[in-house]
Amino acid sequence: MDLFTIIFYSFAVITLGGGAVVVFSRNIVHSAFALLFAFFGVAGLYVLLMADFLAITQLMIYVGGILVLILFGVMLTSQVLDVQIKTGTIQTFPAVLAVSALAGTLVGIFWSTDWKTTAAPPMEVTAAKIGEMLLTSYLLPFEIASVVLLAALIGAAMIARREKNA
Amino acid sequence: MYELLQNLLGDSLLVYVIGAALPLLFVLPFAVVAVLLEMKVSAHMQDRVAYMYTGWHGVLQPVADILKLLQKEDTIPAAADKFLFRVAPFLVFMGGYAGFAALPFSSAYIGTNIDLGVFYLLAISSLSVIGLMMAGWASNNKWSLFGSMRSVGQIISYEIPAALSILVAVMIAGSLNLQEVSKFQDGGLQNWIVFGGPLPLLQKILLFPFTLTAFFILFIAGIAEVNRTPFDLPEAESELVQGYNTEYSGMKFAIFYLAEFANMFLVSGIVVSLYLGGWTSPLGDVMSGPIWGFFWFVAKGMFFVFLQVWIRWTLPRLRVDQLMYTSWKVLTPFLFLCIFAVGLILVL
Amino acid sequence: MSEVRQYFNNIWLALFTAAIGMKTTIRHLFTSAVTIQYPDVKLKLPERARNRLYVNIDDCIGCDQCAMACPVDCIDIETIKGTPDQDLGVTSTGQKKRLHVPVFDIDIAKCCYCGLCVYPCPTECIMMTDVYEFSEFDRQNLNYHYSRMSTEEITVAREKLRKADEEAAAKKAAAAAAPKPATPPPAAGAPPKQEGGAQEQAKPNNPS
Repeated sequence: MDLFTIIFYSFAVITLGGGAVVVFSRNIVHSAFALLFAFFGVAGLYVLLMADFLAITQLMIYVGGILVLILFGVMLTSQVLDVQIKTGTIQTFPAVLAVSALAGTLVGIFWSTDWKTTAAPPMEVTAAKIGEMLLTSYLLPFEIASVVLLAALIGAAMIARREKNA
Repeated sequence: MYELLQNLLGDSLLVYVIGAALPLLFVLPFAVVAVLLEMKVSAHMQDRVAYMYTGWHGVLQPVADILKLLQKEDTIPAAADKFLFRVAPFLVFMGGYAGFAALPFSSAYIGTNIDLGVFYLLAISSLSVIGLMMAGWASNNKWSLFGSMRSVGQIISYEIPAALSILVAVMIAGSLNLQEVSKFQDGGLQNWIVFGGPLPLLQKILLFPFTLTAFFILFIAGIAEVNRTPFDLPEAESELVQGYNTEYSGMKFAIFYLAEFANMFLVSGIVVSLYLGGWTSPLGDVMSGPIWGFFWFVAKGMFFVFLQVWIRWTLPRLRVDQLMYTSWKVLTPFLFLCIFAVGLILVL
Repeated sequence: MSEVRQYFNNIWLALFTAAIGMKTTIRHLFTSAVTIQYPDVKLKLPERARNRLYVNIDDCIGCDQCAMACPVDCIDIETIKGTPDQDLGVTSTGQKKRLHVPVFDIDIAKCCYCGLCVYPCPTECIMMTDVYEFSEFDRQNLNYHYSRMSTEEITVAREKLRKADEEAAAKKAAAAAAPKPATPPPAAGAPPKQEGGAQEQAKPNNPS
């Protein structure tokens, strides 16, 4: 087993382990913190796929932004520790049916697909290309996304702002 | 650096482990020196003398402190979330330490020569944010929680001016890789990005006011990112006991402490690499080369560490609203202006 | 001032005042420290500093005035009256000593360093010194015993006083038996005798 495989599997374990804790933990704060490992592992997998820009953006947006937001949300909820998370099984039969159908489909696709493997291409600079493309070919989507975000920002500020003469 | 190690040891896990441990060889002695510097400078600024009995003028005091911390009982509050409580300090240190991977110590040494250097630095610091939140939450102490909430709010707010001021330097150097940015500024004092970089004279003169502003703002935002005075609201002793590390003792506290000092140098290193030429010699070709490069980088970095200590013992703490005012209403608009102006000057 | 001017003025003030502050601190970085390394270097105390009490027991006449002056009752004195045949010596100021001082204790832990005991002393034998390092591990050790009389000496002095009192009582009884005009018994210049003279707790013989 070479180094690449070891690193791949360790990141995979981090991702899946984090995800498992998110789903199975009865403590909602633990679930939220476990997301960190899931996001981090995914970022690592992106790096192994030579998508360095995507990996770092993943860290920046998901760990630095969304996860913090989730944590704030969880922590600001009153009586965080009293939240009862239901993990019992209900409607066992339909659930088993649906899950096994889904799993069967996925495994079927996984086996029947003709996976083409090629040698990994050399690492190349992606940031400059992404930047150029964002400002040329994909300028319109980029600008629309910016405007949407700006609108969301202004909306949030408006909601949070205390009415002065109300 | 990795090529050298790979040639010596072959392509094995060992190479990566050694490569990952190398910055530790710098961070640990640096923390010892920085503790002494902090104590001595703070004492002398208040006309005191600080340690005098451990070794010559108390130089061995940090060593004694470390030995004491190692022996201390490691207490965990009974009602704490024990698992998160244990994990948090390591996460905080990891966030700081991982940043050293992208810091070019000399022309011959940088942890990983990735193209997205500064971007990576900005992103990886969010690990510390989560660690701080974890510490505050797991301590089950309202001061800790207040401290960590403040800390997170502050770090996220100041990431905007920090990122924007980094952008100014990146626009001039044309690369996100700190090694490239450092190389770009080679050739002496006048080529540093604070002074406009190695561009035609007219452009340099036009750029100078904006680069200087961005440089100042980067340093201010950097101080805020590592939670030092005057932005030390997360651990404001007078209000919050010790903030997020109130409940920590012994080795775990030592790791928080180490992370703080590591971050101090990291911020200084970023400022130096982006605006003050990194490892390049201020005298041009005199005293340049990999070894001298390391010397220059560390010397410049230490100057900024000293500057942080100096500021700490000069300025009082900001109020929360002043903190946010500074970030959003002063630093950010000025940086937008800087980015606009620098872009315009570079295009024309 | 318009708001825009206020905004820029605030920024200017923030930078300017921070610079002034930093100038001050950097100047202090290079001024010499005022610290005194205490156990190694000690400041000279002012002449009239009040610290630990000292009693020159050779000069003490057992007048008990210091104990009475003490607001916290930290001085404990017991005396035994001397008999006429004993010569207790004189103090350095030439005053004749008439009382044994078997107990002269100062509990310095109680002392409030007011110095009120120093002024009434007729022989200036109790004084404030400049010693201020006298911490102890056991509080009992702070109760200083200044008397140098041994237990034997104390019993001897008591015995003598008892005999002298008995003799005086016998004389008095004899004088009372003989119907003569009463003359004061020659009791070594002591003041008029109290009844139950075997008590060692003597009254001060020189009330000021």
